[in-house]
Amino acid sequence: MLPKGLCMHRFDRAFRFVLPAAAVAVLATVLSVGWFTQPDRFAKGYAPEQPLPFSHELHAGTLRIQCQYCHSGVDKSRHAGIPSVDLCMGCHKVTRTDRPAIQQLTRIANSGEPLPWQRVHTLPDHVFFDHRPHVNAGILCQSCHGEVQTMKVLTREMGMRMGNCLGCHRDPHAVLPPGSKITKGAENCAACHR
Amino acid sequence: MKTRLPEHGPLETPRFWRTLDERLETPEAQRAAQDEFLPGAVPTIYDDVHGLPPQDGFSRRDFFGLVGAAAAVAATVACDRKGQGKVVPYTRRPVEVVPGVANYYASAYQEGRRVYPVLVKTREGRPILVSGNDEHPGVKGKTSPRAMADVLRLYDPDRLRAPKSGGRIIGWPEAEAQLHGALKGAREAGKPVLLITGAQASPSQKALLSGLKAVLPTLEHLAYEPASGDAAEEAARACFGQAVEVQPRLTKAKVILSLGADFLNGEDPEALAAWGAKRRLKDAQETINRLWVIEGPLTLTGTNADVRVPVAPSRLGPVAFALAKGLAGLGVPLPAGTDLSAIPAGMPPELKEATKDAGKVWSSLLKDLHHAGRNAVVLCGPQMPAEVHQAAHLLNAMLASEAVAVLAAEPLATVKELEAAAKGMAEGRYAAVVFWGVNPAYTYPRAAAWKEAVAKVAFRAWIGQVEDETSAQCQLLLPENHWLESWGDFTTASAAVLQQPTIGTLYDTRQGEDLFLGAIKALGGQAPASYHAFIQGRWQTSLPSGTSFEQALHDGLVKGEAKGVAPAFRGASVSAAAKAAMQSKAQGLELVLFPGFATFDGRHANNSWLQETPDPITKMTWDNPLSLSVQDATALGIQEGDFVSLTLEGTTLRLPAILQPGQTKGVLALALGYGRSTGGVARNVGTNAFPLMGLDPARANHRMAASLAKAGGKKELSRTQSHHRMEGRDLVRSLTMEEFAHDPQGHHHAPELVTLYEEQTFPDHKWGMVIDLAACVGCSACVVACQSENNVPVVGPEQVARGREMHWIRIDRYYEGDLENPKVVHQPMLCQHCDNAPCENVCPVNATNHSNEGLNQMAYNRCVGTRYCANNCPYKVRRFNFLEYTSYKTEPETLAYNPEVTVRPRGVMEKCSFCVQRINDVKIRAKGDGRAILDGEVTTACMAGCPADAIVFGDLKDPKSKVSQLRSASRAYRVLEELGVKPAITYLADLKNPAVEGGTHAV
Repeated sequence: MLPKGLCMHRFDRAFRFVLPAAAVAVLATVLSVGWFTQPDRFAKGYAPEQPLPFSHELHAGTLRIQCQYCHSGVDKSRHAGIPSVDLCMGCHKVTRTDRPAIQQLTRIANSGEPLPWQRVHTLPDHVFFDHRPHVNAGILCQSCHGEVQTMKVLTREMGMRMGNCLGCHRDPHAVLPPGSKITKGAENCAACHR
Repeated sequence: MKTRLPEHGPLETPRFWRTLDERLETPEAQRAAQDEFLPGAVPTIYDDVHGLPPQDGFSRRDFFGLVGAAAAVAATVACDRKGQGKVVPYTRRPVEVVPGVANYYASAYQEGRRVYPVLVKTREGRPILVSGNDEHPGVKGKTSPRAMADVLRLYDPDRLRAPKSGGRIIGWPEAEAQLHGALKGAREAGKPVLLITGAQASPSQKALLSGLKAVLPTLEHLAYEPASGDAAEEAARACFGQAVEVQPRLTKAKVILSLGADFLNGEDPEALAAWGAKRRLKDAQETINRLWVIEGPLTLTGTNADVRVPVAPSRLGPVAFALAKGLAGLGVPLPAGTDLSAIPAGMPPELKEATKDAGKVWSSLLKDLHHAGRNAVVLCGPQMPAEVHQAAHLLNAMLASEAVAVLAAEPLATVKELEAAAKGMAEGRYAAVVFWGVNPAYTYPRAAAWKEAVAKVAFRAWIGQVEDETSAQCQLLLPENHWLESWGDFTTASAAVLQQPTIGTLYDTRQGEDLFLGAIKALGGQAPASYHAFIQGRWQTSLPSGTSFEQALHDGLVKGEAKGVAPAFRGASVSAAAKAAMQSKAQGLELVLFPGFATFDGRHANNSWLQETPDPITKMTWDNPLSLSVQDATALGIQEGDFVSLTLEGTTLRLPAILQPGQTKGVLALALGYGRSTGGVARNVGTNAFPLMGLDPARANHRMAASLAKAGGKKELSRTQSHHRMEGRDLVRSLTMEEFAHDPQGHHHAPELVTLYEEQTFPDHKWGMVIDLAACVGCSACVVACQSENNVPVVGPEQVARGREMHWIRIDRYYEGDLENPKVVHQPMLCQHCDNAPCENVCPVNATNHSNEGLNQMAYNRCVGTRYCANNCPYKVRRFNFLEYTSYKTEPETLAYNPEVTVRPRGVMEKCSFCVQRINDVKIRAKGDGRAILDGEVTTACMAGCPADAIVFGDLKDPKSKVSQLRSASRAYRVLEELGVKPAITYLADLKNPAVEGGTHAV
C-alpha cells in the first residue's frame, strides 16, 4: 500500500491543475469552433468590393429609382435578377459619362464582355426560394435585404437561414402590408426543397 | 536457398534473404537489423542512436503533424462560405429571356420517315426538355420516348467539335476547300459522286439536293434507313408502283388487325392517342375497339391485344391471304385483277397449331373485319416479309379502310441499292462518296465487304455528330449540328412543320444543309447565304395569305392537309405474292430483326437515358439478348442468361438468351442497334445484329434457317423485371368487357381499415393521380419524360443488375395465364404519396414527411441514408443513390439538367415528387394572377409525356376536377388498399375486349 500523503498529492494535483486546465481547453475548443462555424459569421455584414462602385444609396435612395426598374425579374421569375449591362446604359449613355466607372461600364457594354458582380445574397443549392409570391404579397424588399437605399456598398444584413424563413412564415404580420389577408406562409419542406 | 558464393568464405548462410547485404551479413546490415526504424524515420532527438548529425528543420513526423493540425483548423475556419461566388448578368439581355423563366420553342425532330413536331423547353437559352407540339393536329402535344431523350444527344461529350482531316483538326475554310475541290474534280472528270443520307422528309432539303444535282450532274443520291424495313418498301413498290407511308388513323378504327405490326410501341404518338381515347371507358356502353394481333415475337402491341394468336412470320402471308379469300367469300369484292386462286379457301392450317379453338377465332376475326368494313384496318409490321405487306395492302383495299392513310412518300434505298453502290465503289466507279447522318459501315449487313469497297473511293467525306464506324474510314470529317441547333422543315399529313434552332451551336459545327449550299456556290450555282435564308425564302412564297413566317415559326407549323394524289392500289400486283406465300415453307428457326426500343438503328446507342430505360417487354437494359420461346428453350436446354451461338449463313453471334413467354415456337427475336464499336456509352453494349440482316430486301429483317446452340457460360442480365416483385398480391386488375358490363363494381373491394393515425387534413389542395391501365400500353414514354424533368441519374448495367436503377417511375409488366400465350398487363408504378405513408414513420431524421397538400415530400439535405424508408415502402418506389452518379459530371453533360430540381448526391434517398416544382410554379403563378388553379393546369412530366393520356393528375379537393371524377369511377381501385396506407394514386382496371363469348384472352 502506498503512503497516504502520496495518494492525496496525486488527486490534489489532478483536481487543482489538470481538471481545470482540461475544462478550460474543452470550453475554449467548443467556443472557438462554435464561433468559427457560426452561420452568420460571414453572412451578416458581408460587403465585398464590386467590380464597379455601384451605389444603391444614390440610385435607390437619392434618385428614388424603383427596385423593380432594375431587378425586373422579381415578379416574373424565381430570381430578382441582376440588371443586364444594356439596362444601365439606358441612362448612362447620356448620364455622368465623364465618370471613370461609367466609362468602364460603357466599354463593357460596347465590347459585350461579361461583368461579374460579387454575389452578396445567396442560398444553398438545395433551397429554391422564389421571389414572386413574396413580392406579390406586398412584402418589401427591405424586409430581407435591409435598407438597401441607404447602402453605398451593398451589405448583407440577414443570415438568410431557414430560421429566418420560418420565423416569418409562422408569423408574417410584421412584414406584410396592413390589411393583407395572409396569415401564414408555407411550412412544407417541398415549398423550398425539391 | 543454399546458394553459396565461393568468394564469400565459409559464412553461415541465412535461409531466406532479401538483399545482397543481408546475404553477405555486412556490418551495416547487422546494425540495421537491430534498429526498428531506418535512419530519418524517427525524430531528430532520437537520432543519436544512429550517430547521425541532428537534422535541420522539420522531421517527417513534425511535418505531418502540422499538416494535420492546419487542415483541421482550415476546415473549421472554412465552415461557412467566405465568398458567395459571382453573379454574371447578361451584358445584352435577349428580349425574350428572363433568367429563371423557361421559354418554349416549336421545332421538329425526324427519325427515319417519321417527323415529330415538338416543343422545346429552354432555360437561359439551353434546351432541357422536349415534348410534343400541342398545336399539331396529329400529335396533339405528344411525342416519342426517343424524341424526348434526344435532348441528351445535344450535350453528348463525344460529339466531334471541329472539322478533321486525316485525323487532324482543321478549320472550316480548309475543310470546305477540300470538299469543294473533290466535288469539282469529280464534275470535271465526269465521274459520279455518291451521297448517302437518311430518309428525306423535308421539302426544302429535297429542293436543296436537286439544286446540288443541277450543278453536279454526276451526283447519285441514296436515302437509306437500315431499320425501317426494306420489305415494306418492296411491297409498296409492287402494290402502288411508288414509295408510300402507311399511317394508321385509329380514331376511325373499330377493328384493328396487326400482322406483326408494333404500332403501339411509342414511336407513333398519334396512334397511341387514338388508342387511349378508345380505351378510357367510363362504362361498358361506350364503344371500344378490338385489337387482333397475329404475330411471331411478342411485341408491345401484342401485349395489348384483345386476341393474340402466335403465328410465325413466315406463315403470316398464307394467313393474311386466306383472310382476303375468306372476306371475298363473304361478299367483299376483290380489287380488279387480284387472283387468289392459289389460296385454299377456309381456315389456314397455321391457326390450328397456334390456338385451341382456331375455328372460333377464325370465324370471329372474319366476322369482325367484315362487319367493321371501312372501320377495320390491317397493319403490317415493317420487319415482316414483303408478301405480308402486300396482303395487308390488299385487305385494306378490300375493306376500303378509312382507318389508314396511305400517303406518297420519298423513296428509300433498300439494301439491294446499297449492294449495287458497294459494287460500284469496289469497281472504282465513284470519284467521291459523302455520308450524311448515316453509318453504313455499321448497318450494312456485310460490313467487311462494304468497308473494302469504300476504301477504293478516292475522296471520302462524312457529315455527322459523333465519330462512328463510317467516319473511321473517311478522310474528311465534317461535324454537324444537332437538330436543336438547326433549321429545317417537314411535311406531315396534317401540317407543314418548321424546325428551328433553340440554341446556338455549342461547338464549331455546321448544319449539313449549309455545307451543301456552300458546295452549290462553289460549283457555280446560285444559293442564298444560309439554309435559314433558304427555308425562309421558300416558305415566304408558299405561306397561306395572312400567315407570316414569324407566326409559322411561333406555331412551328402551318396546318393543312398535305397535297398530292393518293397512290392507287394495283390489284393484280398481289397475285404473285399470294402464290409465293403459299409456296414458302418454314425452315429451321426464324429470326426477326427489329429496331431496338432504345437504340433504333444504333443512332441512339450513345444515349444513356435510353440505354437504361427498360425494354417494355423484356425489361432489359443495356443489352440486346436473343429472345426465344419457352418451348424452344426447353427443347434446347437453354436457360435465361445462357450464352448461345446463333448461326445464320455462316455468320455466328455469341450472345445471351432470354426466355420470352408468348413468343411463337420456332421464332427468335433480336434487337438491332447494339454492339457499336464507338461512343463512350455505346461501345460494347450488346451485340451487333446487322450482320444477320439479309441482302434480299423482301425479307431483310426476317431470316429463316437460323441455328442455335448453347455456347457455354452465363451472363448476369441487367434486367429490372425481377426487381421489386410484389409477392402475388392483387396489384393489377384486368376486366373483360363482359365482366365490366355485368358488374362494373365487380372486382374486389377491400374493407376500409381502422387506422390508429390521425385523419390528415388538407386545407387547400390534395394532389392525386389516376392511371388508367386500359389506356396504358407500357410504352415507357413517362419513364423518359420523368428522367428528363427530374434529373434522374443513370447508373449503368452493373448497378441495374443489382437492382439499383434510379427511375422514379417504372412500368411493371405482369404476365397471366399460360407461358405460350399469356395475357399481359402493364402498370406504371411510382410513389403513391400515401396519406398514412409507411416510409414517413420510420425516418429517423424526418427527412421524408407529409405536406398539407398530400405530398410525400423528400428533403434531400436532411436525408442521412439509413434506407429504412425504402425498406418500409410497400410499393418499392424509393431509390437510393448507392454511388456517386452525378458530381463528377462536367459540361456539357450538366447542361441537360433541369435547374428547378436538386441534383442528388451519393447517400441520399429519392423518389417521385409529383413534380412538385411544377405544382409550386403553377400555384405561384395563379396566386400572382389572383385566381384559383385551373383543373389540368398542373401537369406532371409523366402525364404530359403519356401519349395515350392514361395518366391524369389534379386536385382531389376539387370535386369537379377530372381526377376526382375518375377516382370514383367503377373501374377504380388502389394498389394494396388493404394496408390502409391511403395512396393518392388510383388505378383504373385494365379492359380487354376479347371476341369469343365468355372467353378470356387465351381463346
